[in-house]
Amino acid sequence: MQRRIAFVSLLALALFGASAAAVSAQDQSFLTPLTYSVSVYFNKLMGIIAGDWQGYGQLFTFLQDEWFATLFLAVIIVVPLVFLLHYLIVGAKHFDHDGEQILFFSKYARIVHFVAALSFSLLVITGLLVIFGAFFGGGIFIRSARYLHIISAVVFVVPGLLMFFLWVRDMLPQLHDIKWMFIVGGYLSKKKKPVPAGKFNAGQKMYFWFATVGGGVMAYTGYVLWGFGAQLDTVRIYAMIHNFLGMGIVAFYLTHVYMSVFAIAGSLESMKTGYKPKEEVDILHSRYNY
Amino acid sequence: MARMKFLCDVERCIDCSGCVVACKEGNHVPVGVNRRRVVTLNEGKPGEKSISVSCMHCADAPCIAVCPVDAIYQRDDGIVLVSKKTCIGCGYCFMACPFGAPQFPTNTVFGARGAMDKCTMCAGGPEENFSEEEYKLYGQNRIAEGKVPLCAGMCATKALLVGDADKVADVYRERIFQRGSGANAWGWDTAYKKD
Repeated sequence: MQRRIAFVSLLALALFGASAAAVSAQDQSFLTPLTYSVSVYFNKLMGIIAGDWQGYGQLFTFLQDEWFATLFLAVIIVVPLVFLLHYLIVGAKHFDHDGEQILFFSKYARIVHFVAALSFSLLVITGLLVIFGAFFGGGIFIRSARYLHIISAVVFVVPGLLMFFLWVRDMLPQLHDIKWMFIVGGYLSKKKKPVPAGKFNAGQKMYFWFATVGGGVMAYTGYVLWGFGAQLDTVRIYAMIHNFLGMGIVAFYLTHVYMSVFAIAGSLESMKTGYKPKEEVDILHSRYNY
Repeated sequence: MARMKFLCDVERCIDCSGCVVACKEGNHVPVGVNRRRVVTLNEGKPGEKSISVSCMHCADAPCIAVCPVDAIYQRDDGIVLVSKKTCIGCGYCFMACPFGAPQFPTNTVFGARGAMDKCTMCAGGPEENFSEEEYKLYGQNRIAEGKVPLCAGMCATKALLVGDADKVADVYRERIFQRGSGANAWGWDTAYKKD
């Protein structure tokens, strides 16, 4: 009997202990949030109002503060400087513009190219104005540049797309492009030796892909930046992509301008009339079948 | 020189949003722009806390670092201000800010962001003090009048403190000594503990 009582009381004690433990466990879970330190709350708060600042905000701040403007400045100084040296040492290529001419660009291609050229130039110039806005003092001038940037972007999308479909087949990479790159398109020598290139050389192809596909990426990231149409962290990533890709595009843009205006005499004229001298085609686009 | 600071005592903030209304009304802030807001964490759960957030007037402000036109600057007393005439509305400051403080009116050309608007700690802007222009662009300049900013002046529970950083810290420290903080704060048991 006594053993029975002892057993029952022990059982009761165990049950009581278990329930007390359960209650205290409940209490524990109930109390946990109360023991949050202010800094834990603060971290949660930051996540709500400013995204992952430590992950992307800080990186963006660092890059924009220390690197973007500096790198852009380096691009717009170093690239023209290299070409200035090239112009002084190697010089421009001259071809006989009075001899036989070959129709290289149709009227449609020329119109598309000129609309693209105009809007793209505006994009580069206004973009650089915004980047070096502090130098110009900001205000209405830089603000207008920003508005012009988006207008030119909207304009560029049309010829950008048309140009893509117009030239995409000629712009696909080919084996002889590697050879072209090894001799840098023959631009390092004054000799007129036939260069391995079809309708477009490897340099033009790289610029093409940067301008069309890269331009598409720029257009999309720019559109999101314009309206903040995404999560804040995404916007931060897009701002970084927009800046880094912009550097590459500006470098290629400057190259393209140098080639068309200075390096090959009369090539700006060819883009207006559509005709290239036969001699130029035979040498710079030796694999082109006309 | 005094270093101006905001501090929101989360044990005291009761989410009344009086600070938000006072700021918006007193400074004639446009619709869609909130210089100050109250964020509530763990809403409806035990441990719910509210905090009033605006520009924190950082010592090493990321917005100043990223601004491509140097429109944002810091006064000697630590107040971070923006020149709306210089600002181009690019939004970089918003991406750099850890507090989501920079705000942009959107009713301008092509839906473009207008000039950035943020808490001025009721200290106006770079324009001449008490000028019509300053009032129009930035709202009241209560600091120049020797008054406390609207939000902190409004705060019924005195959760929002503003002023010289040392003095604000002293007030807060005294409070902590008296009532504790977090789970030890006076009032938590009364409000939340089940018997």
